Amino acid sequence: MYLAELWRLLFLGPRVTEAKERFVNPKDASLEAVGEELKTVVRRLYGGRSLRIRAVDGGSANGEEIELTALNNAYYDIDRFGLSFVASPRHADMLFVSGPVTRNLERAVKTTYEAAPQPCMVVAVGDGACTGGIWKDSYAVVGPVESVIPVHVRIPGDPPTPTAILQGVLHALSQSRV
Amino acid sequence: MSPLLLTVIQAVLVLGLAPLTVGLVRWFKARLQGRQGAVPWLPYVALATMLRREMVISESTSWVFRLVPFVVCATGVFLVLILPLVSTGSALSAYSHFMLVAGVLALGSVFLVLGGLDSASAFGGMGSSREMTIASLVEPAVFAVFAAFAVASGHATIDGMVQTGGAALLVTPALLFSLIALVLIALAENARYPVDNPATHLELTMVHEAMVLEYSGPYLAMVEYASALRLTVFLLLLANFTVPTSFLFHPSAWQTGATAAVLVGTFLKLLLGSFLLALLETSIVKMRFYRMQEYLSLAFVIALAGLLLTLFL
Amino acid sequence: MDPAFLSFAILASLAGTVFAALVALLGVRAHHFAHILLAFSGAVGAVASIAFVVQDFEVLEIASVRLFFGMTFALDVFSAIFFAIVGLVSCLCSVYAIAYVRQSHEGYHIASLNAATALFVLGMQGVLLSTNVLGFMAFWELMSITSFFLVMADRKPASIKAALFYFVMTHLGAAAILTGFFVLAQGTILADFRTLAFSAQVIPAPALALTFFLFLFGFGSKAGLVPFHAWLPEAHPQAPSHISALMSGVMLKVAVYGFLRMMLFLIPSLPATFGLVIIGLGLASAIFGALYAVIERDIKRVLAFSSIENIGIIFTMIGVGAYAFANRLPGLLVVALLAAVFHCVSHALFKSGLFLAAGAIVHATGTRSLERMGGLAKRMPLLSGAFLVLALSAAALPPFGPFYGEWMFLQSLVQSLAAPTDGAVTGVLVLVLFAVVLASALAIFAMVKLFGIATLGAPRSEAAEKAVEPPASMNAPILLLALLLAWMGVFAPALVSLVGGKDLVSAANRLPAIEIVGIRPDASLVVPAAVFLGLLACLGLVFLLRRLLSDAKRERSYHTWNCGQPIDASMEYTATAFSAPIRFFFRFLLRTKNTVVAIPVVATNPWICRRELFLNLRSVWMDYGYLPIARTCLRAASIVRRVQSGSVQLYVAFIFLALLVTLVIAL
Repeated sequence: MYLAELWRLLFLGPRVTEAKERFVNPKDASLEAVGEELKTVVRRLYGGRSLRIRAVDGGSANGEEIELTALNNAYYDIDRFGLSFVASPRHADMLFVSGPVTRNLERAVKTTYEAAPQPCMVVAVGDGACTGGIWKDSYAVVGPVESVIPVHVRIPGDPPTPTAILQGVLHALSQSRV
Repeated sequence: MSPLLLTVIQAVLVLGLAPLTVGLVRWFKARLQGRQGAVPWLPYVALATMLRREMVISESTSWVFRLVPFVVCATGVFLVLILPLVSTGSALSAYSHFMLVAGVLALGSVFLVLGGLDSASAFGGMGSSREMTIASLVEPAVFAVFAAFAVASGHATIDGMVQTGGAALLVTPALLFSLIALVLIALAENARYPVDNPATHLELTMVHEAMVLEYSGPYLAMVEYASALRLTVFLLLLANFTVPTSFLFHPSAWQTGATAAVLVGTFLKLLLGSFLLALLETSIVKMRFYRMQEYLSLAFVIALAGLLLTLFL
Repeated sequence: MDPAFLSFAILASLAGTVFAALVALLGVRAHHFAHILLAFSGAVGAVASIAFVVQDFEVLEIASVRLFFGMTFALDVFSAIFFAIVGLVSCLCSVYAIAYVRQSHEGYHIASLNAATALFVLGMQGVLLSTNVLGFMAFWELMSITSFFLVMADRKPASIKAALFYFVMTHLGAAAILTGFFVLAQGTILADFRTLAFSAQVIPAPALALTFFLFLFGFGSKAGLVPFHAWLPEAHPQAPSHISALMSGVMLKVAVYGFLRMMLFLIPSLPATFGLVIIGLGLASAIFGALYAVIERDIKRVLAFSSIENIGIIFTMIGVGAYAFANRLPGLLVVALLAAVFHCVSHALFKSGLFLAAGAIVHATGTRSLERMGGLAKRMPLLSGAFLVLALSAAALPPFGPFYGEWMFLQSLVQSLAAPTDGAVTGVLVLVLFAVVLASALAIFAMVKLFGIATLGAPRSEAAEKAVEPPASMNAPILLLALLLAWMGVFAPALVSLVGGKDLVSAANRLPAIEIVGIRPDASLVVPAAVFLGLLACLGLVFLLRRLLSDAKRERSYHTWNCGQPIDASMEYTATAFSAPIRFFFRFLLRTKNTVVAIPVVATNPWICRRELFLNLRSVWMDYGYLPIARTCLRAASIVRRVQSGSVQLYVAFIFLALLVTLVIAL
């Protein structure tokens, strides 16, 4: 009985994924220009059509992590863009670093970057990661992510919405492909 | 049609389709979950990307770590060459003796386990320990299944079993149990639900993934390709055991019309197999690892029932 | 080759061994020379017996000594195979021992160690050559006593305890064997084997049963068959490693040889139930040995338990042979015995190789505990390469030799299932099939654990970090054994036909009046060489593709992924952790005990405490079998001791009583 109900849902349930266009060519979002370095990286990796992401918490308040988790759900469905989260930086092509880098996690961020095979692109997710945010000059904080490792894409917001994150990343990828 | 050519055709076809199978399973799964999902051919792009990347090798690893991807991949290729996947009676079909197949499968698992241990991380050891437990405890069930098929078909080679496979199943309905057990074995050997979650990011629940955490670049591509190969081999084998007219090439019966049938048939088998796997994986939950004994003994008892019914009915 | 020349060579080998023992007594200066001599005589013996097997002689009479009621020595195909093993392994062990004993820190008394080693080898050679009871028993005792001294070569209390345990068990066994001969020969111990073969056909059933059980206990206790195995994991690891290799690799085979030879006499008249008894004990040994090999954490104890497992499988094969013959499946008998002999050969090779490798590792790391090893593959690549091949062989994985022995056996079991037999037989064969598969699957686990924990990952102790490759004279024998196993994987059918269906039957020419319908195991279909080459070709193909598709130079070395926190070797998986799932799944058999001790740190708060976990890998057999018996014996002894009061009158009374009883019986 349970199985019948489950299968009814599986086969006849609604498809809830949001339309691709909302993320791929956003009209209303202001996105930063893509750097030259990122372009070479993305071109090298077959246009970034299949990228694996390792999320690193550099000291965030976990707001960004919740939004990143949402990327995996059926609404945002990050898989369809060829992006997927992996469990090890060894597998990663891209790092999502969130939060201002605290002194305690500085080494973690650095070793994660060094443990990942090069070339590896780094996305700073959230205000904290981009500028240091409200913790900017705190004694416990080293600074934004770029003060520890090079950053290729910045996605502002505190925290940025999943839509914003996807838009930022996909914009960077599509601009670099050319 | 010469048997050698058939081996080549089979090798090219299966080696070429292996990543697609994994992509199909993921695509079906996403569709069932109400997602759009990645395109089924994404694994090809992923493998190509990995091949282009740099490798980061841990300082504590030894030559064993470097040998592992090659051996794991080679055992997969060897199985593709000997098993009746696309054609029966191919050049190396005499080598598809079930003991050799079980041995080569175990050899692949053992090397993967060694690779996990060589990384010197706790995750690698954990995955290795679990994988080794599953791989060794599933062995009696594997033998029970193949012994049943061997007795029913009168052949010790899987090639022979498949040639009489469909018919033998109809004559000996007891083999249904063996088939069910073979499905359970295939799930365990390929680290799928309910034994392992192939899509997990949580190290503590991993089995297969935990062993390969330390691999990167081309080596990772090889390990992933090998597991895709293993999945494809098992799907095709299950299909060939189940479908009565197996859409297989055979050296003696070769026509141009048959070629299309076999090619379409193979593709359909993979399509159906990956759909059923995806359906299974969205319908059940993963079992706790320390309940694996129940799963494995269940697989063994079902396989044993198949064998005993075959022997005594 | 001329038979006279061969028998001369065998004699020369024996003489060389004796001479080596004498030379060894000269002391430390003669160390090299004694071992070279021993190696040489072993090699001569091995080559001569292999030459004998290749040629088609039936029996090679070697010598007959008129001393002590007479002993005769001869070689037939069957004993020649075992003689070749003894020669080969003792040759390699001697080469190994040259450097091993020299640089050992254990403080061995080199002269007596070497002399005892040579005499030990002589004992084994003598047992194999003897064709009458007296010679057999004399050399058997030589083998037992020298190995008793060898076990306590390092003169540590633990070794002496293990050696005494071994001494008791082996002499109970020897007594049983002697009694068995006595019963079988109908009241004499001067019989030769030909008479034994004859009297096995004619003695009454109860005597036959008695003989069977005496032999089963006698040879089984020497071979380490459950439940007579308890001494083995104590004694083998305590001996110096080259002696462990000889004991596990060869001495157990000599015990199997004795059992097999006697079984060849007994099988024609044995009822099927006795076959079941052997199968039962064999399977118990296989599964218990494998389980303990999985959970053990001492490198040499793992190997000792693995020996029990392999002996269990060999005895199961013999048992299946006996059972099959009693149930009119003569084909299965031949294949099962063939598989048993084949497995003896492969076990001798891989187990002695593993013990030698373990010795080198123990020497390099200064410990026998797996938990303090690791990282050796990086530091001793040659040794660990050979170790890997040996471990894979011990796990019976393709494409190495032992895989084909197991294949032969399991395939013939499956084939016999298909043959129409009655239900009980089928049931037994199915049980054997699965128990053997389970045991060998657990053996894979044990061997992966052994190799993986000992040599892979990061070193878990300082000594392991500083380990270096052993000297070439220690590495070479291990490498050679690994090569031999790979060679066996390629030429398995040649070896099978050498061990041979026909030959085995003709070897049992002392086995009159049984017709064995020889079916050859169907090895012609699959050519092991092709399997070997096929796997190599696939490896080459993968290698080529990887070179073509990716840039091999793009790599960088970095530390292991650590989740951002520094990790060290103490966080690695240990042998205990690695085998935890098996310990959990089989807890009803193993009964390991976890003890948690909580010591409060703050007196006022019992919740804050330091906890210590102790994992006790008890041996069920010791706890429920041996120790109660030992306690009972001690209690009985303390009662009997009261008789020994020290008063002379009482002793005189005893003598008087004894005389009286003797008179009563005599009259």
